[in-house]
Parts: sequence; C-alpha cells; structure tokens
Amino acid sequence: MINLLNRPVTRLFLVGLLLLAVQTTLLTEMKFFGIIAQLLLALSITTGLVGGSESGALAGFVLGLMFDLVLTSPLGLSALVYACAGWGAGYFHSRTLANPKWLDCLVTGILSGVATFALAVVANVIGVEGWLSGRIIKVIIVVACVNAFSAFVFIPISRWCLAIRREQRISPPAELFL
Amino acid sequence: MPVYSVSRRRSIAILALTSLLLMTLDLQGNSIVGGVRRLFGAIFEPVQGSVRVVTRPIENAWNGITNYGELEAENQRLQDQLDQQEGSFIAALATVRDAQELLALNGIDNLADISSVTAQVIGDSASNFSQTVEINQGSKRGLRVGMPVVNAAGLVGKITWVEENRAIVLLANDVLFGAPVQVVNQAEVVPPTTSTTTTSSTTTTSSTTTTTSTTTIPVTGTTLFGTVTSTLVASPTTVDLSGIDFDRLSTTTIGTIVTIAPGSTSAGPSTTIDINNLSAAETGIFRGRGLDAAPIVEFIDQNSRFGEVRVGALIFTSGGSSSLAPRGIVIGRVIKIVERTGTSGAVLEVRLSARLQSLNFVRVLLYQPVATAIP
Repeated sequence: MINLLNRPVTRLFLVGLLLLAVQTTLLTEMKFFGIIAQLLLALSITTGLVGGSESGALAGFVLGLMFDLVLTSPLGLSALVYACAGWGAGYFHSRTLANPKWLDCLVTGILSGVATFALAVVANVIGVEGWLSGRIIKVIIVVACVNAFSAFVFIPISRWCLAIRREQRISPPAELFL
Repeated sequence: MPVYSVSRRRSIAILALTSLLLMTLDLQGNSIVGGVRRLFGAIFEPVQGSVRVVTRPIENAWNGITNYGELEAENQRLQDQLDQQEGSFIAALATVRDAQELLALNGIDNLADISSVTAQVIGDSASNFSQTVEINQGSKRGLRVGMPVVNAAGLVGKITWVEENRAIVLLANDVLFGAPVQVVNQAEVVPPTTSTTTTSSTTTTSSTTTTTSTTTIPVTGTTLFGTVTSTLVASPTTVDLSGIDFDRLSTTTIGTIVTIAPGSTSAGPSTTIDINNLSAAETGIFRGRGLDAAPIVEFIDQNSRFGEVRVGALIFTSGGSSSLAPRGIVIGRVIKIVERTGTSGAVLEVRLSARLQSLNFVRVLLYQPVATAIP
C-alpha cells in the first residue's frame, strides 16, 4: 500500500484531485479580475519543468482528463492541451543547464498563456464556437500571471509528486546527454 | 526520472491520439464516456464536499472584502426597483390569471401546471469558457438531463449533468445552449378612439336623448381594467378616461383582449377577443454566445402578418413536442437587430431577463417533452 502511494502517478492523481476540488469550489469564488486561475494547468507545466517532457506530458494528460470529467466541455480537450503544455515545459527544461526560479515562473506563465489560447483554438476546430472572442486576451493575461506566481508553490509539489530527490534535482537532466 | 520505457515521441503521440479519440467519442454521445464521467463524479463528490466545507470561511472572507461596496450599491438599486415594481405586480397577477384561464379553456399546458424543484446554486464553472453552475439537487428529487431551469425573472438554463444529489446547469448564455423560441413584438399604445351612438326615448311629458359613448382602445396584448361610459342628457359627448391606467398598458404584454364597455351600466365589462388583432409571433432559434457577447435569436421565419421585429420585442420559449422547455418561459428582450443579406434573415441580439452572474436560488421544472418523456 505504501509502495502504491509512493508511486508518482498515484501522488499526482491525489494531488490533482485535491487541486481540482479547490479549483471547483474556492477558486470559482476567488476570481482575479473575473477570471478563474487554472491550477491544474500550472501543475502540468511545473511537472514538465522538474521531471522532463515525458513526465510533463503524462501529468498534463491525467490532470487535463480529470478537469474534463467535471466540465461540460468535450472530454479530452483539456487533456490534449495540458499534455502538450507539460511536454513543452519538459522540452524547455531539457534545453537549459540551470533553471533559476524566476525562469521557471516565466516559462510557466508563458506556457499557461499559450495553452489557454490553444484550448480555445482546438475547441473552435472541433465545433465549440464562441470561446475565441475578445475576452480571451484578458483570460490569457490573468491565467499567465497567476500561474507564473503559483509556480513558486507548484514546483516543490511537482518534485514531491515525482519523488525527485535532492541529488537528482541538482544534477543535470539526463535528457541533456541524449 | 524514467516514467515510461517507450520513446518520448511515441508517448506524446499516443496521448494526443487518445485525447482525439476521447473527444470524438464524447461528441458522438458515447455511453462509455458518460459512464466514466459518472464514476469519476462518484469518486470526486466526497472530496469536493470536504474541500467546500474547509474553504467556505475563506470564500466568505474573500467575498466580504471584495464585494462589500458592490453589494451595498446593489441592495440600494434593488430596493428602488422593488418599489417601482410593486404596483405593476398586482396588475400582472390579474393578467396571469386571465391568461391561465384562457390557456385552460383551450386545453393548452401552461407553466403553472408543471411541478418544480427549488435548488440552491452551490458552485460556478471551474472553466473560464463554459458557463455552468452547480445546484444542490439531483436525480433523487426527480431531476433529469434536459430539464429547464428558471428563476423569478425567466429562463436560466438547462440541466446537462445529473448525479444523485447535485446537478450541473448549462446557462442560457453558454455557446452550447440553444432553444426554439417565439418573438413577440411589444404592444403599441395607440390613443383611444371614441364612437358615439344615439338613442331616443319619448315619454308623455318630456323627450330625453341619451348618448352612450363606447371607447375602444386598440391596444394589443392588454387587458383593460375599467369601463368607459358616459351618459349625457342633451349635451355634447364627453368621455371619462379616469378608469384606465395608461401607464399599466405599456407593461402588460401577453394576450390580446379588448374590453368594450356596454351602453348600460348594469352589467360588468364584457370581454371579446379580436382574432385579427392578436399579436403575431415569429419563431426562431435562441443561442448563447458566451460571457462577452449577447445571446442571439436566428433563423426567424418570415411572416407577413408579424411585420418587422422591433427592438424591445419579447422572447419566450416556444415549446413543442421535441423542445426541452415548455411554452411560455420568458427569456428576454431584443436589444439589437442585425440585418443580414440574402435569405439568412435578421439576427436578434437579446438581453436575458435573468441575471446569470448572481444566481442564488433557481427552480428546476420537472418537464420532459412528449418525444423524450419516460412513461
């Protein structure tokens, strides 16, 4: 049982479930300029930043799928976009030698904005019209800013989820040598 | 940290393809997807409930800090609105009663006949794009997917997901919301016209001429409360209009009843319905367009009797055997008419009657159309 709980996927699922509950209760009331922060997207990206592109893609897929399951939007839409965002974060991580905190926050913010825009574009492609409107600019800016700041909190959480130890963290990523 | 043994590119490709497959299945209404949603809902509900209890004080504190000034101003505005509407409410009650009697006489269902369940809104959408709310009643109280949700002002949305003790309501301004509607032009108030008939009666001692004036007020969609009569003896005709409250005429909108006072004062006002003067209604499709755009009505039939749609025209659900909403639920008013070239017809922009941003209690009508009703 302990072994099961220590597995990255299990930890990620449990943390995701908790964040999803916070997102669907507290954050629907605590809006920033009328926009809801996207915690699951932030966690997907930070998981990619600390664990690499594969971990980021898997985390994004699982978290996005969980989010889709409680929304009325098509199932798989957030999963696709979050997986791509997590993969993108991991790809960025593999291209840098050092990841200072400010850079992680900046990348989280930028990728959050891009993912929010991509979400509306993909929705439009599959026939859900109306998401691509003037309001999306405000949504992108607010989500990017909030997620950038939340990266300070989510990067340690992601490390815990992926069970990354200190010695692994301070060594260069394995992808660097591929 | 190696999580997968498969190659990086293959893993992202598999995840992307899985997502696309899920989207396709969901858009086709696959029952497996519904089952998965239901299963996840069962796992998630207790977690969400616990988190809601824990975070409620934080929510309240946040709302207290950020919305206090707004709430105070809103309270003042609502108080003013309440005072203004008190008078017209009494008139509306009488009109509603008349309308219900007429509907009953004609064997037409009306909203008063439909059972409903009152529910409290307990959560908003967690997405920045979907317009949904969560309510605290579910299948245990008879709620089903597709049932219309209303509040005192009008249509709020429809149920799109039901669990045992909660349900998700898709709001009327969501891009996925659509409903067949009727567009009814508001009545125009025309100044009253007076026709005069003269009768004579003779006695042995004197001759008296009695002039009876009957005032017909050609207002469509209005019930007049009061009779207009005057009895004069050998004098020019005068008309007493004090019995009519013309202010009320502009606010009453349903039905077309013209009250004509009889010449004598013995009987009460008689009511006749002039079919030719009934308000014509156009049908169309109502569609939400998200938070930052007004909902629209499109695909409006061209009916020569209806004429031009005017700004301020009322939008109601049209009902029908396949419509998810019964006939007669108020949706809103036309605020803008966008003409389009060709055969596509005009598009009407609508202001919703219900304020969807501040919902608290709503009513779910336990209505299912004939086409989908479970026996």
